[in-house]
Amino acid sequence: MENILDLQHITKTFPGVKALDDVQFEMRSGEVHALLGENGAGKSTLIKIVSGVYKPDSGEIRLDGKPVSFENPREAQAHGIATIYQELSLYPELTVAENIFMGHAPRNAVGMIDWGMMRRRAEELLASLNIYDMSVTRKVGTMTVGNRQRVEIAKALSLNARILIMDEPTASLTEADVERLFSIVRLLRERGVGIIYISHRLQEVFELADRVTVLRDGRYVGTRQVGQTNEKELITMMVGRTISDMFPKLPSEVGKPVLEVRNLTCRPMVRDVNFRVCGGEIVGLAGLVGSGRSELAQVIFGFTPAEAGEVLLDGKTVQIRNPGQAMKLGIAYVPEDRGTQGLIRQMKVRENISLAILRWLVRGPFVDRRSEKSLAARTIDQLKIRAYSTEQIVNKLSGGNQQKVVVGKWLAAKPRVLIMDEPTRGIDVGAKAEIHRLMSELAQQGLGILMISSELPEILGMSDRVLVMREGTIVDEFTRAEATQEKIVAAMMSESVNNQPAQEIIREGESI
Amino acid sequence: MLATETSSQTTTFGARARTLLLSQEGVLLVILVVSVAILSIFSAPFRTVENILNQGRLLTEVGLVALPMTYIIITGGIDLSVGSVFGLSAVVLGYTWDKLGFPLELAIVVALVTSTIAGFVNGWFIVRVGVPPLIMTLATLAFYRGLAEGISQARSARGYPEWFYQLGQREVLGVPTQLWILVIAAIVAGIILARTVFGRSLYAIGNNELGARFSGIPVNRYKLLIYTFSGFMSGLAGYIFVSRVSTTRSDMGTGLELDVIAAVVLGGTSIFGGTGSIAGTMIGVVLIQLLKNGLSLAGMKGDATIVVIGLVLIFAILVNNYIQRRSGAS
Amino acid sequence: MTATSEPVSPAAQPAVLSQITGWLHSMVSSQEAVLAISLIALTVSVSLYETLVLGREAPRFLAERNIADILQGNAYIAVAAIGVSMVIISGNIDISVGSLIGVLATISGLMAVNGFPIWLAWLTPLVIGGLVGAVIGFLVAYLRIPAIVVTLGMLSILQGGLIIMTGGAWIYDIPPEFQLAQQRPLGIPMPVIIMIVLTIGAALWMRYTAYGRAIYAVGGNAEAARLSGISPRATLMRVFIINGVFVGVAAVLFATQFTTIQSTVPPGLELFVITASVVGGVSILGGTGTVVGSTLAAVLLRAINSAMIFFNISPYWLRAVQGILILITVLADLLRRRRQLK
Repeated sequence: MENILDLQHITKTFPGVKALDDVQFEMRSGEVHALLGENGAGKSTLIKIVSGVYKPDSGEIRLDGKPVSFENPREAQAHGIATIYQELSLYPELTVAENIFMGHAPRNAVGMIDWGMMRRRAEELLASLNIYDMSVTRKVGTMTVGNRQRVEIAKALSLNARILIMDEPTASLTEADVERLFSIVRLLRERGVGIIYISHRLQEVFELADRVTVLRDGRYVGTRQVGQTNEKELITMMVGRTISDMFPKLPSEVGKPVLEVRNLTCRPMVRDVNFRVCGGEIVGLAGLVGSGRSELAQVIFGFTPAEAGEVLLDGKTVQIRNPGQAMKLGIAYVPEDRGTQGLIRQMKVRENISLAILRWLVRGPFVDRRSEKSLAARTIDQLKIRAYSTEQIVNKLSGGNQQKVVVGKWLAAKPRVLIMDEPTRGIDVGAKAEIHRLMSELAQQGLGILMISSELPEILGMSDRVLVMREGTIVDEFTRAEATQEKIVAAMMSESVNNQPAQEIIREGESI
Repeated sequence: MLATETSSQTTTFGARARTLLLSQEGVLLVILVVSVAILSIFSAPFRTVENILNQGRLLTEVGLVALPMTYIIITGGIDLSVGSVFGLSAVVLGYTWDKLGFPLELAIVVALVTSTIAGFVNGWFIVRVGVPPLIMTLATLAFYRGLAEGISQARSARGYPEWFYQLGQREVLGVPTQLWILVIAAIVAGIILARTVFGRSLYAIGNNELGARFSGIPVNRYKLLIYTFSGFMSGLAGYIFVSRVSTTRSDMGTGLELDVIAAVVLGGTSIFGGTGSIAGTMIGVVLIQLLKNGLSLAGMKGDATIVVIGLVLIFAILVNNYIQRRSGAS
Repeated sequence: MTATSEPVSPAAQPAVLSQITGWLHSMVSSQEAVLAISLIALTVSVSLYETLVLGREAPRFLAERNIADILQGNAYIAVAAIGVSMVIISGNIDISVGSLIGVLATISGLMAVNGFPIWLAWLTPLVIGGLVGAVIGFLVAYLRIPAIVVTLGMLSILQGGLIIMTGGAWIYDIPPEFQLAQQRPLGIPMPVIIMIVLTIGAALWMRYTAYGRAIYAVGGNAEAARLSGISPRATLMRVFIINGVFVGVAAVLFATQFTTIQSTVPPGLELFVITASVVGGVSILGGTGTVVGSTLAAVLLRAINSAMIFFNISPYWLRAVQGILILITVLADLLRRRRQLK
């Protein structure tokens, strides 16, 4: 069987960095081919070349054996290549049907747009994807993320896509939506569509993909059949070294409760939450996307005011109505999205690190530049942040170092309680281990850490206790010894939408 | 991996001077000096002390309003209603004194309070309800002007007592009264912006408001403050204006927003937010006044100079964009 | 033209009745319907006020002359609002339309007075309007300057230009053939005919052509539009040029309504036009709205103006009413979007 897509000797250089160096990639029709690699490995550049956003400096792209070259994304689209990005490109004020057919709406005999035909064709497309619960005349802006993604897929089909590129498609989906996505992907595979699937979630790779290709530092490392490899081998390929101690949770003395939450409610996402975090502990908070974990953190942190319930620090009830108050009381929150929530990307490292505690770095009414600089220098040193100087613009740092800047900013506030929301998301494995080690050290120093994570291995490896949140409330709690993936997933999903037993969700490939 | 020392210690004085000179403020300062020189050489009426001081008088109103406008544009917002608040303040002053018989001192206070509240209303809707600043202040541009027209019913107030003109038409130590106010206000505003936590926070908000919120910056409180401040300054400028021209009309301040925004943008503040300075704004204000003065001395009628200001605004943004792109910003 | 809200799946067959009620519901909740109902409500209340409170036998509000005035008084504003609505839907704004109307009207008048053929005097404003629109479009689309700033600058350039052109003098002795707005084909005032024809034409264009839909796309999500093969830059150029042409038509209507042409336009004219658009349902955030709505709103504003006179409210408060209307409409739009996101 011939490859529908064949890339050979692809090289692409940007000013100052070689993004891709002699990379190869091939795909057959009717295949789900995963693309793995740390951040900066070149995955994003590769798919942008396939989709026509970039042109390779050298190398060859072949479609069905014939060489092609794309000047722009439109040309790639015309050849049947469609991309589903994380930031969906839809028009919120327009209907599903129009979104699907924007740019290529069906016309009638006089050349005018035929709305009736557009509606019918949209319905046909949705039906072909087994989607029967969506109205094509609804405005896309009123729909959930999962539904919007399905509209994007229908859009790709309307362009007769033969190659579908999906970049981290499950990042913001509920578990039910993920399952529906998988069944759609499998359906497309049956039809001969080739799917390039990028994800940091190894369990998805093992569940969905046929083959997996690994890139590292812009170079091609290798391709494996999914059935003939395992997680350890893939990680080794991605990182170049065995990470045996990926989660070095060091033992620490657990003291008295620093943070206690009682009956905390903020509808609709947080309902009657109760739990405790003690000094020296790392409490892992697991849950499906949409279970309310980040919302809970933001209520505790004062970003969103609570409707009911109490927060206690060191046993005393406190009122937290805004992040400033939370900080003063010793609570710090490292947000989920470091780019838009955690950092001011156009500002310097020094300015970011001091941002939360700027009020304390003053001499009279003015900012004390000298203390600010020394704080920044100390932080860079302690957290081993790879930056040229305190004056470097944060945007230029890698994901892992940016995350360290955010953590450093909050450590400067000398918190007693540290809430970390997806602390290692989108970070390469090396930086991940460093952050985990940092968390262990902080726990040893007596901080209480609440770690929100969607990566079960991280939860199991780093937590002293595991809390599971479902639909706004804590449904289960496990000690480190008791916790297993099955139990956690069962608690996360319980009477789940698809009624699938928990075991089927977990594969052997990712046993700890 | 270790942080090397900050760049400012390793660069020479010469290199630092060069970056300062090549910044937008530096370029403007040079243009300013050159313009003053040219005008002084070629125009006798220009170089009289009387003319210079008079120009200082004229630019005060724009200058005062440009201070909070700088803050607002740095945070990524805008205030189009300043001209209408200016007019409303003038009308309220005239109406309460003339028609309602208030003592003039009280009328002045009422006018200032009114304009402060007007700014607060802008801020409240922008912050608490989430109306985009452009739309909110466009609506209040209409509404406040409408209030002014409605209250004044197109009548004007005149005949103020002598002491009232001290602010607008007299001097203190040889310098026009209002100019003292502007200079002091500008210095304070500039220091606040450059050196305090509040000032740094404004830049943070302009670059990434969400990130600023998550960092504990009281974004809502600060935004409310700057729009209220804008209202107050517009009112103050209106009061000074009435004192200067000795009369009150409801169409006063029309077009003020153009002059102010042009000055702020000319001074290096990016219309997209995140950068800017008071020093630059002040240079912009002076430059625009110089432009008007030069044009009128060359025989162009007052109304026609606004054509040039409009061109200057567009030109200033183009230059600003260009500089931003060169320095690698968004 | 809002979307219906009930599901239409081939598998289930909803009752025809629920389909009709669903369609009715979406029609009634559309901005256009709100405007039409407001118009009727206003008419009814003024008429009742006149007959019951003022004791008149027949409400003068409903007299033919008053109705004609309500329909044609803001016709030129409605026409200008067609173009401005398109600009706002595309995600931009144009606050220079008032000054542009003044300049174009003066040019038109000057041509008529100086012996140019009448048809040329009518046509030239459209051409120059389009050119000005092209300049604005170029600055916004290609040089990426925010439209608010470009049109703020353009506003003053035009305003000053107008004064330079006229020197403050009015234009007199205009040949009667020039008075397009005074003509009454089939007994209907020409401005009303032009308003209705252009509104319908523009509405059809925006609904049934790719170029028209592209405006919604660019205003809704410019990046996505680019990926759909739409050129945001070309679309914006088109929008501003079309806007300029429509402003030209409005200028001709404005110039030909009286036998003289003033040296200034009513102050705040651009705001009036924007009010018509916004109150007409064009969301200031872009991506949605219709020209039918803005025309209805223009007529409604005239009706409000007229009603104010009948209620004996000083017309100087009209601007304040405008401001409140903009605020209310914008707030309603914001709340609707906020609710959607949940």
